[in-house]
Amino acid sequence: MNLTDQLLGALSQYGLPVLFGVIVIAAVGIPLPISMMLVAAGSFVELGEMKLWQVIVVASAGAVIGDQIGYALGRWGGHRFAERIRRRRNGLEKLAQAQAFAKRWGAAGIFLTRWLITPLGPWLNLTSGMTGYPWPRFFVWDLLGEVLWVVLYVMLGMLFSDRVQALAEVLGNLAWVIVGLIAAVILGWKLLRYLQPAEPLRVEK
Amino acid sequence: MVLGALALVILVTGLFAVRTVRRAIFWRTHRDEVIRPWMSIPYIAHSYRVPPRVLYQALGLSPQPHDRRPLKQIAREQSRSVDEITSVLLDAIARERANRPTAAPPPEPGRSP
Repeated sequence: MNLTDQLLGALSQYGLPVLFGVIVIAAVGIPLPISMMLVAAGSFVELGEMKLWQVIVVASAGAVIGDQIGYALGRWGGHRFAERIRRRRNGLEKLAQAQAFAKRWGAAGIFLTRWLITPLGPWLNLTSGMTGYPWPRFFVWDLLGEVLWVVLYVMLGMLFSDRVQALAEVLGNLAWVIVGLIAAVILGWKLLRYLQPAEPLRVEK
Repeated sequence: MVLGALALVILVTGLFAVRTVRRAIFWRTHRDEVIRPWMSIPYIAHSYRVPPRVLYQALGLSPQPHDRRPLKQIAREQSRSVDEITSVLLDAIARERANRPTAAPPPEPGRSP
C-alpha cells in the first residue's frame, strides 16, 4: 500500500484535519499527492460525506498557511544564502536584478503558480521570501490563487466524483505539460533574442 | 546550451502531453475505477453504479449510513486481505450488473428526445 492510498484512506476516514495537514506540508515543499486529495474531497462532498464550504475553507487555509511558512523560510533561512550571493563578484547587481524581476512579475507569478503551474508553487514561496517581495502583496495574491485552486479542483472532483483516480492522474500530467510549455516559450524567446542582433541594423539611405 | 535545454524541455513536455492524452482516452473508455485500499464502500458503489447494499451484503455486513471506513480497515476487521475483499466486491458487482443489464448505462436526465 503506497503513500497515496494511506493518505486517501485517512482522508476518507478522518476528513478535514487530514486534508488540512497534508496541504500545509505540501505547500511548504514536501511532494505529497494534493491534487488527488482535493479531487477526492470533492468526490466525498458529492457523496455527502463532507461539506463543500468546510472543504473550501479548510483546504484554502492550509494552502495559505503552508505558503506563508515557505515565504518565511525563504526570508529568514534564505538570508544567509542571499548574503553569500551578495559577497560574490557582481553579486549585489544580480540580487538587485532578481528583486526587480520579482517586483515586476511577482504578482502574476504568485497567482499563476497557485492554481495553474502548481509544481512551481513551493519554489516561488521560497524565492519570494528570499528576494524580499513585499509580504502583504504576496499574501493577497497567494490567497486569491489558492482559493481559485481549491474551488477548481474540488469542483472537478464533484463533477467526476466516480472517477477521481483517473482525473487526478490526468490533472497531474497536465500540470507538468503546462510547466514544460512555459519553460519552452521562455527558452525559445531567449534563443530568438540571442540569435537576433541586439540593435536593429540601420539601413543607410 | 539554451538550444539543448529547449530541446530537452520540448521532449519532456511532449512525453507528458502524450501521457495526458493517452490517460484521457483510456479514461473515456474505461469508466470503472480500479478498486484501491483507500476506497470506502459508498465510493466503490458510486463509482461502479451499484447500490451500496449489494456490496455490504457480499461482505456479510449490514449497510451503514456515512460509512467512511476504507477497504483497508474493513479487511483488517474481517482478518482478510484487501485483494480478497476486492475480488469479492468485483464478483458482487458483476452479478448485480448481469441481473440488471438494462440498468447498466445510467439514463441521462433532462434530455428530451
